[in-house]
Amino acid sequence: MDSLHTIGFYVSAAVSLGGGLLVAFLPGRGPRGIALAAAGAGIAGLYVSLSAGFSGLVALVCFAGCALLLAAPTYRVMDITVAGAWRQLGALAAGGLLSVLCFAAWRGDFVHATFYGGAINSASVGRLLFAHDALATEAVGALVLVALVGATAAWRQRDRGR
Amino acid sequence: MSAGLVSVLFVAVALVAVGAFIASWKKDLTAALAGLPLMFGGAGVAFAGAARFATPGGPPAFGQEVAALVAVAALALVALGVGIAGRGTSR
Repeated sequence: MDSLHTIGFYVSAAVSLGGGLLVAFLPGRGPRGIALAAAGAGIAGLYVSLSAGFSGLVALVCFAGCALLLAAPTYRVMDITVAGAWRQLGALAAGGLLSVLCFAAWRGDFVHATFYGGAINSASVGRLLFAHDALATEAVGALVLVALVGATAAWRQRDRGR
Repeated sequence: MSAGLVSVLFVAVALVAVGAFIASWKKDLTAALAGLPLMFGGAGVAFAGAARFATPGGPPAFGQEVAALVAVAALALVALGVGIAGRGTSR
């Protein structure tokens, strides 16, 4: 990885992690949506610096969609009935997960290979998506369909209840 | 200083952990949904990093394909969660 990509990688990592932490601590749906969009931009930058421009574009669009969904005026609050101790335990478990995975990444023995792909790779990713791994693409398509139908059904049920 | 696979995995791990933290820390279930795309994004970064640095024989775009698929899956799950949470109260 050359120095330009390395700088882009670390800057994007800082943006994505900073955006993620802001999502955790900012109050209000608007600022949280903006922070999530910033985290998405950082993740897209990570993909671009890893020569995965097509995936970066897809991630950027998907994070923008998530940010719009979570910052829209139709946002509704659904409080969790779990006690605070369990939430704190979950947060501690997230820290433990970070430690374990960091240890695995640090102590792992990985193969080093030379990368021959291009910067965007849309053609090769498209070949994989629609030819080699078409079943996985169809599974994700089915997941999207089920999610949208479920979301629409939930919204219609809510509107009928008014 | 060049970034390698270990650096990529550290960033991916941090993203997954931040997403898990958001999902467990937020009292509002709809706000906790924001952790999902971060966790999925972390997994995608790990896949893309493995495709970039450690695929000697296989198709190098496989990890990038998985990264794109998990991003779409994250959007679908957030849409479903927001739709279900639409029965809650406005704030």
